Amino acid sequence: MNDLINDLYQEIILDHGREPRNFGECDPHNKSADGHNPLCGDNLKLTFFLNDQNVIEDIKFTGEGCAISLASASLMTEKLKGKKIEVAEEIFKDFTNLVSGTDEDLKVLNEEDSLYALKGVGGFPMRVKCATMAWHAFNQALKD
Amino acid sequence: MDDSKTLNLNVRKDFPILSKKILEKKDLIYFDTAASAQKPNTVINETNDFYKNHYSNVSRGVHTLSVESTFRYEDARKKVQKFLNARSENEIIFTKSATEGINLVAQTFYEKFMQKGDEVILSLIEHHSNLIPWFFLRDKYGVVLKFANIQPSGQIDIDHFDSLFTNKTKIVSLTHLSNVFGTELNEKVINICKDKSVPILLDGCQSAAHLKIDVQKLGCDFFVFSGHKTYGPAGIGVLYGTENLLSEMPPYQGGGGMIGDVSLEGASYAELPAKYEAGTPPLVEAHGLGIAIDYMNKIGLDNIIEHENEITKYAFNKLNEIDFIEIHGGDNKRNSIISFNIKNVHSHEVSSFLDVEGIAIRAGHHCCQPLMKHLGVNSTARLSFGVYNSLEEVDKFVIALHKCKEFFNK
Repeated sequence: MNDLINDLYQEIILDHGREPRNFGECDPHNKSADGHNPLCGDNLKLTFFLNDQNVIEDIKFTGEGCAISLASASLMTEKLKGKKIEVAEEIFKDFTNLVSGTDEDLKVLNEEDSLYALKGVGGFPMRVKCATMAWHAFNQALKD
Repeated sequence: MDDSKTLNLNVRKDFPILSKKILEKKDLIYFDTAASAQKPNTVINETNDFYKNHYSNVSRGVHTLSVESTFRYEDARKKVQKFLNARSENEIIFTKSATEGINLVAQTFYEKFMQKGDEVILSLIEHHSNLIPWFFLRDKYGVVLKFANIQPSGQIDIDHFDSLFTNKTKIVSLTHLSNVFGTELNEKVINICKDKSVPILLDGCQSAAHLKIDVQKLGCDFFVFSGHKTYGPAGIGVLYGTENLLSEMPPYQGGGGMIGDVSLEGASYAELPAKYEAGTPPLVEAHGLGIAIDYMNKIGLDNIIEHENEITKYAFNKLNEIDFIEIHGGDNKRNSIISFNIKNVHSHEVSSFLDVEGIAIRAGHHCCQPLMKHLGVNSTARLSFGVYNSLEEVDKFVIALHKCKEFFNK
């Protein structure tokens, strides 16, 4: 099998694509945003609860999409749960660099991280939007 | 390949891009002609030659290059007129795209013939480019839009379509060939419009290179198509309109080239077709489209259509045999387009997987989100064929599909 395909669809991606974790809606939540990829119609709704210490206490998503977008959203929720906003924002920056093919100068992510499995997306520039949809929704929710 | 069958037409060598290796080793199999067709050498060389040897602005100067450019631009219009069998060159307006043609009609037809509360009939299978220009009329002017249902076959439901007409129906705008199903519009639909004396616009983006077009025989009032889907350059589109309607409708954009006489108090407008061609047009692209039409004529549209029909039928039968494939639309005739899904695998995965095998297909909503909603799917994979495709390519595609299914269901 082709290396590019194996890099893109690592076992963890296929697993989270088939069975996304934290799938649903947070109750209660005080932050939410919709993600949408106008190129293909994939979409998601992200909800989370930010406590008064600025920690993401719970975070969930619903939606429909390809394995990459679902796995990315699923891995994101796993990673961000329990994190302080400042840390989450650093992870967001690192992740965007990672899937754009620039994994140098990463501040908080490293190869041990499950999110690193999405590095293969860099080999498919048209799929970067699939991988970043949930993250952009997260970023949007912080701004609103 | 089944029955050691081969097709008569082999024009692959005319298309230089088809010798490109994908990821340095895979032969390119291009099954995305419905998104945009590849270009033959003649189109590439002739557009180059235009810039090298004949280029200037059109219809303005009197020097040699201006004459040569204008000749090529207007010659392209003649070729398009013959290609569509329009009555006159005045009925051929060059635009930048088919999309611009639809926007032009929506805006100027409204201005001349419509008011708040008037109705436009569209359908569920329309491309966004034949929806949004009309949404603008609804949002800005209170025009009412009605949408014809489709049958499981992908054809418009004639009875429902007929029932949508009222005395406020002013125009109908429909796709001539669905970019998702590959189904051709039933001529009864056009006849109903004729009977009711309501003008109809046909979106011919998918039909222009895959069906023989005769606008007079079709009886449509407007017909749009794009150069890039007919083996010509991107950046050029065509709007055909009957001289009566185009004469009565006001200009679309103002600028150079579309005027009669200008003073600071006002202006008179040029005659057709210049009236609708404000600004320097995509002249080289128009010439390239003319060359693409020459190319299709040289091979023969009948031969092209027969070739594509053979491949489409072959691919349909192959796909239909595979239990994990779901084909969208009914079993009626498809013209060079098949939409499908691998069960439980998103079309993006299919497309990325095939990409590394050198196979280019489209995945997504095909700019038809209302139709996707109707089908109850988020996206589909789409195969679409052109003059350069072969049965061998379909065989390779089918093998890759099986590998794809295996990979994602391991």
